[in-house]
Amino acid sequence: MPNIAVFIEQRAGQIKQVAWQMLSEARHLVDAHGGEVWGVHWHAADCDVSTTAGRYGAHKVVTATAPEFERYDSELWTQALAQFVQQHKPDLLLIGSTAMGKDLAPRLAARLRTACISDAVGLSWEDGLVVKRPVYAGKCFAHVTARSVCPVVGIRPNAFALRETGDTAAAVVFKPVLDASRARASVTAVETAAAGKAALTEAEIVVSGGRGIKGPENYRLIEDLAGALGAAAGASRAIVDAGWVDYSHQVGQTGKTVAPNLYVACGISGAIQHLAGMSSSKCIVAINKDPAAPIFKVADYGIAGDLFAVLPALTEAVREFKR
Amino acid sequence: MKIAVCVKQVPDSEVRLNLPGPVPELDRSAFTMVINPYDQFAVEEAVRIKERLGHGDITAVTVGPAAKVREMLKKDCLAVGCDRAVIVDDAALAGADPLAVAEVLAAVLRRDRYDLVLCGIKAIDDDSSQVGVMLAELLDWPHVGYIGSLDITGDGLTARREIEGGVEVVASPLPCVLTCGKGLNEPRLPSLPNIMKAGMKPVEVIDCAGLGLTPPAPLTAVKEYTPPPPRGACVMITADDDAAAARELARRLHEEAKII
Ligand SMILES: Cc1cc2nc3c(=O)[nH]c(=O)nc-3n(C[C@H](O)[C@H](O)[C@H](O)COP(=O)(O)OP(=O)(O)OC[C@H]3O[C@@H](n4cnc5c(N)ncnc54)[C@H](O)[C@@H]3O)c2cc1C
Repeated sequence: MPNIAVFIEQRAGQIKQVAWQMLSEARHLVDAHGGEVWGVHWHAADCDVSTTAGRYGAHKVVTATAPEFERYDSELWTQALAQFVQQHKPDLLLIGSTAMGKDLAPRLAARLRTACISDAVGLSWEDGLVVKRPVYAGKCFAHVTARSVCPVVGIRPNAFALRETGDTAAAVVFKPVLDASRARASVTAVETAAAGKAALTEAEIVVSGGRGIKGPENYRLIEDLAGALGAAAGASRAIVDAGWVDYSHQVGQTGKTVAPNLYVACGISGAIQHLAGMSSSKCIVAINKDPAAPIFKVADYGIAGDLFAVLPALTEAVREFKR
Repeated sequence: MKIAVCVKQVPDSEVRLNLPGPVPELDRSAFTMVINPYDQFAVEEAVRIKERLGHGDITAVTVGPAAKVREMLKKDCLAVGCDRAVIVDDAALAGADPLAVAEVLAAVLRRDRYDLVLCGIKAIDDDSSQVGVMLAELLDWPHVGYIGSLDITGDGLTARREIEGGVEVVASPLPCVLTCGKGLNEPRLPSLPNIMKAGMKPVEVIDCAGLGLTPPAPLTAVKEYTPPPPRGACVMITADDDAAAARELARRLHEEAKII
């Protein structure tokens, strides 16, 4: 029966939401098959996450405190996680498929010579672990098995729902031996984006604009609606390539993959490469003046209309509901 | 500066799968194959580094059947500025997973000793985002992943990489592995004369035995592929005018979908 370890990622003092989502899903799995859920968490200054981790299903939280944990470093994080796996011997390690997770999981798996499976959206335990993940940019799912002890599995943010099923978790102190001289590529500065801007890949709502907005000056219609909804603002590649918005907003095959609760596509035709980045969103709304636009094929709600009339009214109506 | 660029051939992003239901294997026979779009950023960056420095030698490395990947190497790598190519062609690598591919690439890179290795951040077929970082670990090199800009300074480099809500600035000594994303550069297109000339550049074809390597066994396997769940039909919202439709949409998102 599996003991599942979950890496609880902390960046700039914040725990990533995906950590709680992974704990919730892991608990769901062990409740059916036996085993325990272990959170793994470290930080530079004392901070106890065992209460929250317990609430989302952790049986225990293995924690380490060291000054080296102030700022992410792939080598030091790999050292610490590798030692954790060797000492505690979990059957499965989950890491969020975040910027940090994607940097860390492959290095760790290569060091441990264990299987690595990224961007998972489903976990099941049949004769062993089966991981469901989108491939070909979401055109199908691959169901992947692993042939090694303690596979490292990356979990896509927002793939799993939060479940507050646990109670309290025991805190277990862990003392990794860190060799800082091995850390070679090092972060020299972190530039934070303007406050209030939600990160696209973690946002619960995303509002995206495409060529239908006609010009960069109209992207503010997208940002206004996003602001009203507390959402992140996204974009099609067409308007990124045109230089209307920065690449960091691009959703799709060569941009970000998002799976929010609500995705609002405005003036976006729905090219297959765009769908690749958003088709697993829970609810999709399309606003496009062409009723035959392919985006309506994946949408749950659609308005075949002019976004210049729809968006201001929608933003206003959303503000009303929020009041 | 000796640079290697690792490239993969992948199905074109327009490829449609239309799976009837669960299948044990995808029928790839009709796919149009192209160079992985992220690897194009890696190739372009390597060429720009060489141009900036005024010297250097660039090797494109790929794992795959020589008969299939040769044209891609010629048109998308050699014709845009790579100097040579290595193809690792071995039937035993057919089911290779990212770690197995990284081990094969590491064997090539160790043999020929490079200062810098560039990869794409991910391949658009299996979307794993693993090989570049694994390669760095197997070579015992540092890596900087998902770079959006790059500055080579003497025996080191500085790169910027996007993270949630910001940008990390990372400094690394050489040798180093970088994985390249969009925003880094605009890949150039090969010219016809350069495609012709690319035919003269050396392409080495080798198998695992030639690299002194036992074909690494994959640690993961795909049990089956399933189509995405069908989405329900789209509810088209109609009203007297667009503004009224917008208000009706907001009401439904609030009352039916309970999202706002
Ligand atoms: C290798 C590769 C990778 C790619 N990766 C991506 C990717 O990551 N992301 C991505 O988005 N694309 C990607 N693309 C590009 C993709 O194929 C499309 O070209 C792109 O998505 C189109 O963007 P769009 O929908 O904004 O523009 P268009 O296709 O031009 O659509 C504009 C839409 O706006 C509508 N419209 C116009 N005016 C109005 C109005 N007043 N009100 C309402 N609607 C209006 C039109 O009806 C139309 O449907 C990729 C392509 C390739 C080849």
